[in-house]
Amino acid sequence: MAVDLSVNCLGLEFQNPVLVASGTFGYGDQYEDIMPIRELGALVTKTITPRMRPGNPPPRVVETDSGMLNTIGLANVGQDEFLREKLPWLVTHRGAARVIVNVAGFAEEEFAEVAAAVGSAPGVDALEVNLGCPNVKAGYIHFGADPQSVRRIVSLVRSQVELPIVAKLSPNVTDIAALAEAAVAAGADAVSLINTLPGMKIDINRRRPVLSQGFGGLSGPAVRPVGVACVYKVYRRLAEAGMSAPIVGIGGIGCGSDALEYILAGASLVQVGTASFVRPRAAAETIEGIAEICDRQGVTAVTELVGAAHRS
Amino acid sequence: MNPAFTRVTVTGIRQAAGDTHVLTFRDECAAAAIQPGQFCMLSPAPGASCIYLPRPFSYFRALDDGRVEILFRALGRGTRWMAGLRPGDSVAVFGPLGRPFQLEAGAARAVLVAGGVGLPPLALLAERLLRLERPPRIDLLYGETRGERVVELGGVLPPAVRLWTASEDGSTGFRGRVTELLTQKVWPTLDTPPAVYTCGPRAMLAALADILGDGREVHSFQASLEENMACGHGICMGCAVELATDAPQPYYKLCCKDGPVFNGFEVKWR
Repeated sequence: MAVDLSVNCLGLEFQNPVLVASGTFGYGDQYEDIMPIRELGALVTKTITPRMRPGNPPPRVVETDSGMLNTIGLANVGQDEFLREKLPWLVTHRGAARVIVNVAGFAEEEFAEVAAAVGSAPGVDALEVNLGCPNVKAGYIHFGADPQSVRRIVSLVRSQVELPIVAKLSPNVTDIAALAEAAVAAGADAVSLINTLPGMKIDINRRRPVLSQGFGGLSGPAVRPVGVACVYKVYRRLAEAGMSAPIVGIGGIGCGSDALEYILAGASLVQVGTASFVRPRAAAETIEGIAEICDRQGVTAVTELVGAAHRS
Repeated sequence: MNPAFTRVTVTGIRQAAGDTHVLTFRDECAAAAIQPGQFCMLSPAPGASCIYLPRPFSYFRALDDGRVEILFRALGRGTRWMAGLRPGDSVAVFGPLGRPFQLEAGAARAVLVAGGVGLPPLALLAERLLRLERPPRIDLLYGETRGERVVELGGVLPPAVRLWTASEDGSTGFRGRVTELLTQKVWPTLDTPPAVYTCGPRAMLAALADILGDGREVHSFQASLEENMACGHGICMGCAVELATDAPQPYYKLCCKDGPVFNGFEVKWR
């Protein structure tokens, strides 16, 4: 029995619920020979800012228990080169996969600028607004930590584009569900959670933090219980508030059972992130794993399982 | 060849010296394509250890029978896991990755400067330089902090390579740093500007850059660098290397994709 993996969400048809997370798949081209993007539900690009960013000094990454810390610093090519050099390749090679562009800025107006530039480009299916990257200095975290700020930025982006908007939220807050409510109220079509958690590793011989910026964003299997809990909490709160918005689950997903935890908690789509660094075909293995588990459990469509943990 | 992600079986592991080991596995496709200076990412089978991220290692030897050798020192969590591997164990390999050393066919002399576990890519390079139509005279300088760490290279290096060994504790070879061995013993023997290739600790590479930048004439200066990596092929952007520039904004290249071999005169060492 073939399991139906397709998901209708954001007004789009996704051939399966597995996306690759921003910053873990580049712009798709480097994985082409190993993990073609046409196999995915969608590719979420590396974060694009209005202007090119060189990123932070090294060391930028370090392993931790069951995960990694990074302080890349939103290194990226900038919106103009993305549109000129990267997007055409994506559009040509996407097949049935969707293209979601992750955008960010360092002032509220920059969010509007990059959203307007990227959101009007042919071939872009949706925007994911990066509201909680912890790796940038100068208080950037406050964009994602305050519901008022989230509301302002999402409204600003909404006013610039007609495309579906996904608000990517930080777990480094007291109540992530309040942020989700604010984002949806301001016009976000979906929320994706979670972004990385702030963390630090200290070199005991040098007696100082390993990463150049001290703090970094924690990702990998270590954060999966946090992500699942956030999805569960937000799914329940949005339902209680009578708000209808799909959730995209992110954090420590690398196989079918990881993905199904998020789907059962309330995610309609999931993103495979750091696992792609360890196993380049982790997203494909996740798609196959979801199908296998559904088949074993007699589930005919994966959408039957969205939020099922709330009902049993 | 394009890099491939494969699972391979360990065929051997041996102690090369002190805490230094050589891991051997069979990977026919990679062995035939590996260029000196390239590297691979090694990772355990899922659930087989507490290691999460893959680790980058330069290739030490690529043998005609399809075996590949990795020389490593058991210093941290990842390398201690590797030291515990046994024949028959499965590991994941992603490679060959990175830009290799450029074999400078026009240089009559090649000076290879290895510090500690910077040795592997230079051992492979020495062998490949000797395959050139007009191979240069090769001097391989190899330094360790302690003599007990010096790897025996008999059977690895072709006899035509002149091997110079240094140990800072003086128990083996020249007493002192490998850069002092270069300036005091080897440089005076050079009769033509050499191609200089190096790999080792960053402080050693920076010292070598100072020495060569101080009016010494060289054919070229190629340095293989090491940085923390997660993906190994330009996706995670974790392995930034800062290049020297007059611009106010820093200018980074990626160690995994743009390197690991860089023009040693272009790197911002300090």
